[in-house]
Amino acid sequence: MKSLLPTTVLALLLAGCLGPVPMPIGPLNGRIEALGANRDPALSGRWLALISGRGGREQVQLLDLERQQPVPVPGLNRADAQPVSVSIDAAGERIALVRQLEGRTELVLYRRSLQSLQPIAMVPSGVPRQVQLQADGRQLAVQVSRGGLWQVDLVQIP
Amino acid sequence: MCVLAGCDAGAWLPRRNAGPAGVLSATSRQEPALSGQGRWLASVVERGGRATLLLQEQPSGRVVQLRHFQNHQPHSSPSLSWNGRYVAALVQQGNQRLPLIEDRATGALHRLPLPADRTAVRLSLAPEGRRLAVQVAQGGQWRVQLFDLSNLLEPDLPGGIALQGGGLDTPR
Repeated sequence: MKSLLPTTVLALLLAGCLGPVPMPIGPLNGRIEALGANRDPALSGRWLALISGRGGREQVQLLDLERQQPVPVPGLNRADAQPVSVSIDAAGERIALVRQLEGRTELVLYRRSLQSLQPIAMVPSGVPRQVQLQADGRQLAVQVSRGGLWQVDLVQIP
Repeated sequence: MCVLAGCDAGAWLPRRNAGPAGVLSATSRQEPALSGQGRWLASVVERGGRATLLLQEQPSGRVVQLRHFQNHQPHSSPSLSWNGRYVAALVQQGNQRLPLIEDRATGALHRLPLPADRTAVRLSLAPEGRRLAVQVAQGGQWRVQLFDLSNLLEPDLPGGIALQGGGLDTPR
């Protein structure tokens, strides 16, 4: 919490000079800090998905921002998988994840109500890197490496 | 479906390549971000050797010019609101990387100042425009911080105003 103060003070000072500026959300930032070192945030609706590291191991964490607490995602994380990129829809139902597992990189779709994980093939073949799920959950955009170029695929989700 | 694609390869789902990056003849495209219902696609392409934000309507691929993302490259980590009203991305200002948000309905620009000891790495704009999550690097460590935008931006809700072109800018 202490380390968040400079941001708050700066924001308040600037707010006085320049009009409204984005304000840090203190209590929620405290919750996020408690998870460890965090990266790749994805906001949608009341949800924040991110990749959180502690003790040299990273995993996907989901926070309910209205209840201000972590939400379990059983079956999403594996001890032998390295998360690369994550995204969530506004309903908090679908989570798209790029992860490295057993020497290969794959894109998977997690459905929270079913606790199911479905691999999504790259067609033509390629290596996924970064994924973003649109807020209504019906399509995702994924950055794919093919033949030395980065491309973007749009994948519809039934 | 399993038989067609192979169980190990994963499910085959309807898909398409996002296609060429408009008139920019870009060969490589990174960091895609779709608006809430997929009408707008933001991505980062090389333009004149500099990583530049590109906003396109889907599925036509029509490029829409952004008023406030013409300079301050490299751009990175774009994020869109539900109807594509707000476009957020990181830009370079001096030694720092900072988040900018463009309101395509009004042409307004919003900046997020950060203390000098940290630099932004990634961002995510909530589709409704109420919050911004920023990954910062500080003292060799990554952190994620949330910012409240409710005093700054009108909500951009599903079924809200649908921007036809580039807001106040002229479409290319």
